[in-house]
Amino acid sequence: MSFDPLAWIQHHIPMWFYITVVIHLVVLGGVAYMILLERKVASWVQDRIGPNRVGLGFGIIPVLKDFHFWGLGQPLADGIKFIVKEDYRARGVDAVLFTLAPGVMIITVIISIAVIPWGGVKQATTVFDVTAAAHTGQDPRQAALADLPNSYYGAPPLDAAPNLTPALYNQAVLDNVSVDRIPQLRGPSQTFATVTYRYPFQIADLNIGVLFVLATLSLAVYGVVIGGWASNNKYSFLGGLRATANMISYEIPLGLAVLCIVTMYGTLDLGTIVNLQAHDWLGIIPAWNIFTQPLAFLMFLICIHAEANRAPFDTAEAEQELVGGYHTEYSSMRFALFFLAEYAGMVTTSAVCVALFFGGWHLPWGLTAGIDKSHPEVTTSILMCIFRTLVFLVKTLGIIFIFMWVRWSLPRFRFDQIMMLAWRALIPLSLAQLLMTAIVLHFMWEHHRPNFWIDGRSAVVFFLANAALLALALIISRSLPPPPETNRKIPVPGSRFARTPLPA
Amino acid sequence: MKDADVIVLEEPKLSLSDQFYLPQVLNGLGTTMKHMLRVVVLGKDRVVQYPEEKREDLPIDKGGMLQQTYRGVHRLNKDEEGRVKCVACFMCSTACPAKCIHIEAEESPWPDREKYPGKFDIDELRCIYCGMCEEACPVDAIELTHIYDIVGLTRQEMIFDKSKLLKVYDQTVKNEPM
Repeated sequence: MSFDPLAWIQHHIPMWFYITVVIHLVVLGGVAYMILLERKVASWVQDRIGPNRVGLGFGIIPVLKDFHFWGLGQPLADGIKFIVKEDYRARGVDAVLFTLAPGVMIITVIISIAVIPWGGVKQATTVFDVTAAAHTGQDPRQAALADLPNSYYGAPPLDAAPNLTPALYNQAVLDNVSVDRIPQLRGPSQTFATVTYRYPFQIADLNIGVLFVLATLSLAVYGVVIGGWASNNKYSFLGGLRATANMISYEIPLGLAVLCIVTMYGTLDLGTIVNLQAHDWLGIIPAWNIFTQPLAFLMFLICIHAEANRAPFDTAEAEQELVGGYHTEYSSMRFALFFLAEYAGMVTTSAVCVALFFGGWHLPWGLTAGIDKSHPEVTTSILMCIFRTLVFLVKTLGIIFIFMWVRWSLPRFRFDQIMMLAWRALIPLSLAQLLMTAIVLHFMWEHHRPNFWIDGRSAVVFFLANAALLALALIISRSLPPPPETNRKIPVPGSRFARTPLPA
Repeated sequence: MKDADVIVLEEPKLSLSDQFYLPQVLNGLGTTMKHMLRVVVLGKDRVVQYPEEKREDLPIDKGGMLQQTYRGVHRLNKDEEGRVKCVACFMCSTACPAKCIHIEAEESPWPDREKYPGKFDIDELRCIYCGMCEEACPVDAIELTHIYDIVGLTRQEMIFDKSKLLKVYDQTVKNEPM
């Protein structure tokens, strides 16, 4: 048999490889354009227009000279600038850690994108020629499954029970492979096996996706801390310290808010969580968790702002106090990596937010749902997968826009205010939210258990419970003892809090 | 400072929506969204697209510039006979806070004055465009014009000598008569 490169590639390079390449190009390219969008949003808020000069001609292509394309060439020009700038390293920095820090940050942020379920599950059917295996006495069905390209998995029939044990699952897959013997006029008969197989339209189909994202994203703060420490600069160091405190405080309510959703569905798989939101209540309202757990969404949104170290929580790089914070000493591409990591982190957290609270790739009214009602994620069309990915990306862009909108609207919190918000407000509230979710689930269990979908009735109960919790929290917060007055009445001589009046 | 002079201000009481913060946050977000929509949808930005649009061409209420009062590049005025008006009295260079005016006086070839400037250099890079020279001049010989977009490739180019300053006069006398 002659060597067929195309077949070899199809068989040996798994689908997730292509998805990885495409997603990373889209995300990293998108990050560059997010910086442009950020500048545009900033200028719109301030009644300006924003960068609109750099077109795609770059002074080289004469045809494009007079077109500016709304400044779409700006990210490319910025990129070129970052690459050709001098990579300056001050004396006294820790050379190894200084180089390592931006890498740590961007790597951890990028690998956390791996588990985002972009486009559901693609189902395909292929006929394999298993004549040779049948002749050697092998089970033709097994041979066909062995011929499946890497990273694809055979699919049990769609009406199979959802929670099969692995052995039963394998049996169901085997039963699903149909074998045809076609007698030939001359020679032995040929055997063909028809296999239906699926692959998830995401990079890694992890069943602990939520945990993975939380774990890797909290590693990103190491980049900030190491960068701040290695810079041998007190401002950088302070920035790193602040980022650590920020991270430690806001990881807790973030995790608890996510845990509310995880408890509702009983799974850590982001894909499954998205699939369970892919139906409508009363045929019109999408079954998104923003409607069942609005309070958890609010807390999640606040926490991902703090996680991304962005305004109003950007004390780690407070320009007015710390020069540039942890990246004061960085220049050129190293600085650009910090910058890219910040925005890529925004993409990841926004995508997780979309998956948890906005139904992922799902559009209301079944526009993106697949062929089967009990498996809405399965579709046979690759175009549908791409369309779903676009839907997902547009929703993610919406959350990212909220990030930018907030950044250019709110002033930075003082550090003690940030800590107070986390420890006095968000952590108790998210604990109460988790407790509330557990209580509702306990009483709705019989109603809720069979399919784990949240139907209209449960949704109303959850919504009302959220509203009640919010009201309760507001009432209780009125009767709490006031916070200690840190940073306020320091008796600096000559100030209005001075204990002894100044001599006349 | 006496105790009686000290005014102690109490911090303003927070209203309920101030205390819960989020209503005020939403309020602020609404304000910024209003601005964004005004720029994106209605196109009501406050930008002057500089090289294509110039402030001197715009009406004053649209961010235009009042040419008569703008303090830009200097000029040396000429009298009716086309001679330099300056009498080299050094008042401007004395008044100059940036010490950017350098004058070398010579004996005047004309009978109506004793001195005239042989050299008159203004370093436009040092100048802070405060207009003190204009105030100090007893014969209204030096004035600031509305020109603001001068460029040069070297520092030497930006030191305007007498001929250059007189040229600025020819250039601006139509817009800004003496």
